Amino acid sequence: MFFHMVLERNMQLHPRHFGRDLRDKLVAKLMKDVEGTCSGHHGFIVAITGIESVGKGRIRDGTGFVVFPVKYQCVVFRPFKGEILEAVVTMVNKMGFFAEAGPVQIFVSNHLIPDDMEFQPGDIPNYTTSDGSVKIQKESEVRLKIIGTRVDATEIFCIGTIKDDFLGVISDPGANS
Amino acid sequence: MGSADPFNRLVKLAARAFYDDITTKGENQQKTGRSDNRGIAVVVLDTLTKRQWVREEDLAKDLKLHTKQLRRTLRFFEEEKLVTRDHRKETAKGAKVYNAAVAATGDSQQTGREGDDKQKMHVHSYCCLDYAQIYDVVRYRLHRMKKKLKDELESKNTIQEYVCPNCGKRYTALDALQLVSPYDEYFHCESCNGVLVAESDKLAIQDLGDGDDNARKHRHDKIKDMLSKMEVQLKPLIDQLARVKDLPIPEYGNLQAWEARAHASGRSANGDLTASDPSKSSQGFGFGGTPMPYVGETKVGLLRNFFHFSCEVEVAFSGIGEKGEMVKSETPMKVLPPWMIKDGMNLTKEQRGETKAETKTDSTLTAPEVSDDKKSSTVNDEKKSIQDEYVKAYYAALLMRQREQEETMNRPEPANTISNEDYYTTTERQVGMKSKRDEDHEGDDVNWEEAGPTTGGQTRQFKVDLNEEAEASEEEDDIDWEEG
Repeated sequence: MFFHMVLERNMQLHPRHFGRDLRDKLVAKLMKDVEGTCSGHHGFIVAITGIESVGKGRIRDGTGFVVFPVKYQCVVFRPFKGEILEAVVTMVNKMGFFAEAGPVQIFVSNHLIPDDMEFQPGDIPNYTTSDGSVKIQKESEVRLKIIGTRVDATEIFCIGTIKDDFLGVISDPGANS
Repeated sequence: MGSADPFNRLVKLAARAFYDDITTKGENQQKTGRSDNRGIAVVVLDTLTKRQWVREEDLAKDLKLHTKQLRRTLRFFEEEKLVTRDHRKETAKGAKVYNAAVAATGDSQQTGREGDDKQKMHVHSYCCLDYAQIYDVVRYRLHRMKKKLKDELESKNTIQEYVCPNCGKRYTALDALQLVSPYDEYFHCESCNGVLVAESDKLAIQDLGDGDDNARKHRHDKIKDMLSKMEVQLKPLIDQLARVKDLPIPEYGNLQAWEARAHASGRSANGDLTASDPSKSSQGFGFGGTPMPYVGETKVGLLRNFFHFSCEVEVAFSGIGEKGEMVKSETPMKVLPPWMIKDGMNLTKEQRGETKAETKTDSTLTAPEVSDDKKSSTVNDEKKSIQDEYVKAYYAALLMRQREQEETMNRPEPANTISNEDYYTTTERQVGMKSKRDEDHEGDDVNWEEAGPTTGGQTRQFKVDLNEEAEASEEEDDIDWEEG
């Protein structure tokens, strides 16, 4: 799920950036530092949408670096248990398949794949129904439900299922090409 | 110990719910038809609810079971935490202690225990239900059952677990990213690089068929069905658990403590106010194994002695009021079993035919005097006005009682104190009886107990009187509390 929220961060800026465009430099550095990171509490920080305020900088002894407390608005993405996501399959193996929904990695084990789909080893490993009408392979897009998350300080990993109504392949790369 | 009934019911329900089809292992492999001892567990538990600590040999004898079989069942229950057991080496003397304890608790199923007394040093095992633990065990069991089914029902997509067959390390699907190997399509153990095996520890229902989507739905329905069935079928048990929740749990302690306590309570139940240890009682009346009439005679003597004394007492407390009540309230506070009083009364009636005249006159004289005295002395005290009301009520009740007794029994009771004497003497006699009973036979005990409830109007009236007294004295006690 996506959230728009205000976060705060202490930015350290090198003295060489002190000048007319100090603020721009600060924002650029903030984006570079923060976007794409993951915090266990808030989830993945997807994008910074604006700066709320930049506090008074404090010069650090010895180095000359200045620390600015910056409040910024951002979009965060955090997966929840029970959430339905659309994801792209990145790897298929005997144990199941891995998929990515933006920054988050999801594993779907073969127990959570419908019973009528079977693993087909080979050049392009895939899961196929007995009649061959549905195929899950690399680059397939699937809709899945998250049934478990593991949230570390800097990482979120999910496991999902496609063993429910309206879940499964939504576009088949083989069919398109 | 009186509150054990709901717990016993709980045990019985639990036994039927969970231990109905338990067979003691190892046996059913050798023999076939005859070794189907499925009901045994229930029977044993039921029997245990009727006892406290019981020697396993006796239990086996009572159940007509082989000791080995019983022991196996009991060991099973010990593992299930339903039963506590105690093993100790003991001689015939030790067995006697236990027998005495059993006698004191009033269990009437002592059969051939006398023969056991000749045994030398033997290890005896005793067992007893552990009610506190049973309560917890049953609750936990229910909780686990429900949880397992609910888990299966709600998140039917449980997180897959993987086990390394080499080192036994366990992983969940959440670790999948670290486990995936670039070379093949298996998960590999982080520590030993062995190929992980998916573990399925779900309910056995799973193998019911995994052909198509219907199977899953079917399974789902089945679990739901099971859950609802469980709720219906175990409802009596759950209700009983709720009922028992706030009740004090009967606690018999370990064997030694129980024996000691059983002795003590047995004695106090017999109204033993004076002799507190068995040696005393055995030295007393019990030593000669005195028959009833004899005891009655001695009591008459005592009564005569006490008659004057009691008069003094009455006068004294009529003057003081408060103190006298304290003295008085003491005796009725100790609740004597009705059959006790009855016996005493009957005896005195029989034995004291001659003394009737004296006591009658005296008692009728003293009682009104007392009340008058009391009034005159207490009117002056404003403080004690409330208390006086109780006193008045008390004496009124006393007079009433006296008159009633005169009417019903055609024989006077001098006053409360004298009847107290009755308790006194009867209790002593009772002690003697008991010690005698411990030594040889328990037949008397049964008779005694049964005599109480079956007698007619007399006892009932006495009972009522006692109750009045007890109430009054209790209230007086309250007042004393406030003032002191």
